[in-house]
Amino acid sequence: MRRYNSFRSISTGTLKWLFLGFFFLYTLLPFLWLILSSFKTNYEFTTAPFSFPETWQFENYVKAIRISGLPRLFVNSLIVSVGSTALNLFVSSLGAFVFARERFRFQNLLLNIIIAGVLIPIIGLMVPYFKIITTLRLYDTKLGLIVTYAAINLPISVFLLYGFMKRIPRELEEAAVIDGCSFRQRYSRVIIPLSRMGLVTAGIFVFLYSWNDFIYALLLTSSVKARTLQLGIRFFVSQFFTDYTAMFAAIVITILPSIIIYIIFHDKIIHGLTSGSVKE
Amino acid sequence: MKKHSVCLIFAGLLFLLLIPAVAFAGGQKDKGPEKEVELTFPTFWVGQDSKSAPIQTLVDRFNEENAGKIRVVIEPNPDTDGYRSKINSGLAAGVVPDIFVFNPDPTTFGYYESDLLMDFTDDLTGDWAKSFADGYIQASTMNGVVKSIPFEIGVTPIWYNEDLFKKAGINGFPKTFDEFWAAADKLKAAGIVPTSQMTGGANAWTSMLWYSHILASLGGPTVWERPLTDPIYVKAAEILLKLYTDGNTTKDAVGGDAGVAGGHYMAGNTAIFINGPWYIGRIKGDAPAVHAATRLAYAPAVSGGKYGAMIGFQLSNLAAGNTDDPVKRAAVIKFMKFLTDPENVSMISQASGAMFALKYEMGEDVDPLLKQFIEISSQASFSVPHFQSQYRIEVVQELGQAIGAMVLGKATPEEFVQMLIDVNQ
Amino acid sequence: MDHYKSRKWIVVFLLPLVIMFFLFFILPLGFVFIVSLTKWGGFGKMEFVFLDNYRYLFQNGTFRIAIRNNFIWAFSLGFVQITLATVVAMILSRKPLMWKFLRTIYFLPNVISQVAIAMMWIAIYNAEYGALNRLLELAGLSRFATNWLGTIETALPAVILQQVLYIGYFMIIILAGRMTVPDSLYEAADLDGASVLQQELYITIPMLKDILITSMTLAMAFGLRHFESTFLMTAGGPANSTQVMGIMLYNNLHSLTYGRANAIGSILIILGFFVIVLIRRVFGSSSFTTEIRQ
Repeated sequence: MRRYNSFRSISTGTLKWLFLGFFFLYTLLPFLWLILSSFKTNYEFTTAPFSFPETWQFENYVKAIRISGLPRLFVNSLIVSVGSTALNLFVSSLGAFVFARERFRFQNLLLNIIIAGVLIPIIGLMVPYFKIITTLRLYDTKLGLIVTYAAINLPISVFLLYGFMKRIPRELEEAAVIDGCSFRQRYSRVIIPLSRMGLVTAGIFVFLYSWNDFIYALLLTSSVKARTLQLGIRFFVSQFFTDYTAMFAAIVITILPSIIIYIIFHDKIIHGLTSGSVKE
Repeated sequence: MKKHSVCLIFAGLLFLLLIPAVAFAGGQKDKGPEKEVELTFPTFWVGQDSKSAPIQTLVDRFNEENAGKIRVVIEPNPDTDGYRSKINSGLAAGVVPDIFVFNPDPTTFGYYESDLLMDFTDDLTGDWAKSFADGYIQASTMNGVVKSIPFEIGVTPIWYNEDLFKKAGINGFPKTFDEFWAAADKLKAAGIVPTSQMTGGANAWTSMLWYSHILASLGGPTVWERPLTDPIYVKAAEILLKLYTDGNTTKDAVGGDAGVAGGHYMAGNTAIFINGPWYIGRIKGDAPAVHAATRLAYAPAVSGGKYGAMIGFQLSNLAAGNTDDPVKRAAVIKFMKFLTDPENVSMISQASGAMFALKYEMGEDVDPLLKQFIEISSQASFSVPHFQSQYRIEVVQELGQAIGAMVLGKATPEEFVQMLIDVNQ
Repeated sequence: MDHYKSRKWIVVFLLPLVIMFFLFFILPLGFVFIVSLTKWGGFGKMEFVFLDNYRYLFQNGTFRIAIRNNFIWAFSLGFVQITLATVVAMILSRKPLMWKFLRTIYFLPNVISQVAIAMMWIAIYNAEYGALNRLLELAGLSRFATNWLGTIETALPAVILQQVLYIGYFMIIILAGRMTVPDSLYEAADLDGASVLQQELYITIPMLKDILITSMTLAMAFGLRHFESTFLMTAGGPANSTQVMGIMLYNNLHSLTYGRANAIGSILIILGFFVIVLIRRVFGSSSFTTEIRQ
């Protein structure tokens, strides 16, 4: 609060709130529009996209739940997203730790190669990924999706975690070494707790990717036992006609839990961070 | 703590290494020879698709009739584009589903070049072959082999809103383009936009069909034997350009998608539209008044061109993965024959409004608009497929871009055709 | 610390990453590069054509437009979006009223499917019933009303602008970095009489240099491999004016011209690699390319 008061000039304050207000409206707009549209008929949706629904079509929500079997897919999505996030963070944090805190031969080359992975247009890899997953006999399994999503996001996670881990002052680690910390303990006791912010950030992105991906979920699964929510949502896209309003109802149903998860996840960890021993 | 982290790392490594092993163990269930044959059938006829329910009913009945012997399992694959990507990726990786569906076009007929598809050449003879309407088996034959079975077809006559025509003082749909432009002027005078057009979506659908109609009038039954360098493509482009200018279509046509083209027609903003019978259900539900006012017609004839052409094409062919197992092969054939049985096809047609490449009878309570579809296509003086089914996807993808360029003044009709020629290599 | 032991642990720590990276990146990329040198329809014969696909692409006007557009995307995201995200993160880091709530709202578009957001913008930019034209009309500026996504001059700016302003993704990264800067630094500066602006410029930016460069690099990489919102909103049109490499790659996969598709993929990766190295050379020479400070 103290800092807030330190904005001395009124014009800075006004400018700040104009700025925040603009982005508030801008980012809230799609959400409101989505909710509004989810209560319309498709006819209204195409002919009057910004009006209020003439009659509120609650049946879109009934349709959304009935047609796509959302609850089952929701559980799958949760397992796949949590699983891939955990696997990804585990693998990438080990690697990022070594890259950020150690020196070895070919370090920069290896890091550059891994980071260049963020450039890869993932849609271009459908054929090889299909081949890899079927060869590993992971087709139509949740594990297949978990491994794929975890792997796809490795470059970005390594990149982010590397950025965060590199910022940790040497002295902290050196103090730990003097206290008798081993290599592994430097990772688990010093660097990991200090890069929680980075882990949360990278974790959110892996989670969201896994949660939102459609094309690999379609490519690598064939039955409800492994399929995720995005496939359920696409059940409203048929050959000649997309039932947008029911699709939007399904999207609304699926994003509410993810927003709640996001808020809880983010606040808990951030809280843990600020109350931890990090800053002092 | 020390032990803990070591364990964690090794657990992680073990996990990675175990993935293939565990998965192998899970996937290696041997099927005994006496066990029932399971056929996977990934399809996009699921969810909101109008054929979803009737297909499911038929598969259930088939499974019941063949209990213990054959079981067909539908794998729902919503999103036609995604489905196509999946089939393509599978084929490229050497994995083919037991039964699947594809849109026949010069690109997908490339599937025939592989040994991955089941060859039906020797099966599609005799009574089974006779149950198909004329020409479709031939159209599904490449180099003497038939590796897919014609199934759903589409016909796309011109739709027009008779109420709006009356309001503008026009009686009946014009038979020549001269009359058509006169009618368009009357519509505009009455505050009605004449046609729905679109350059967006994957294939500029509505405008692609217009272009096909115009070309059919210019080129007659053998229009597709003419190469892109033939002057009729330029002439047809000039007419298409005119359909886009002078207020003959809506302002959002360039960049618009099927939602835009169909939406304007259903809202009564535009008087003329083109689409297939699958759209009947949609318009009936969303705009019943427009549904009731809709009449079908042949496209107007270009001066010197032919009148009475119908654009009709194969929409979905059935295909199967090749197999050495004669039992499995027999099971696939049995299911294919079941799906293409005239009675079953008639059932799907009545439930969904779709039309099929088979000879079948329709019941009495057919939707009046669907009845018009059947009549107008049977009375056509000739029928040719649409542009999309004649050219590789590269060309179809470019079509929308080229129309946009032409309408926005970045290309002349000649350059429009050149854009298509450039990608058609 | 025992040097040999530490070396062993470096290997153990890197192993999972390297295995997974090899399996899901190196191996597939090998496939991509090999196929890019062939003419292949997905099955049947793979005909080796050496650099024909690359030659075709570089002679192709549409592909040149696509590369240009990708660079425009990369710069818009890398500079404009990151700048906006940094400013918002700076403001939020000072915990104004409802900052947590705002942070969540700003992130919201990333949770909503791209399909829905694209549909909304299509409707906003529509020429017949679009909200933008109606707003212009209300403001008496109807002479500026146009078919935003269907006009060559406006389509690209329209698609880029809507995307650039969704800053939530990078704002979260930068804010997370900003929260790890010790408060004591700002308190000291406050006592010295530094204004807020000065504090942000002289403390936050240098402290966040690594994170900012990371974000910028990521944003530019996203710009180079950009696909989804353009695909959904214009599919590269009108007249290929919004074409990007990602869409061309997708189209080529769809038309089973795998050789060309993979050549596009290869070009994208090579171009991107140079861009990444360049950014890091220009902005981050001290932190990335040189050795780690010991």
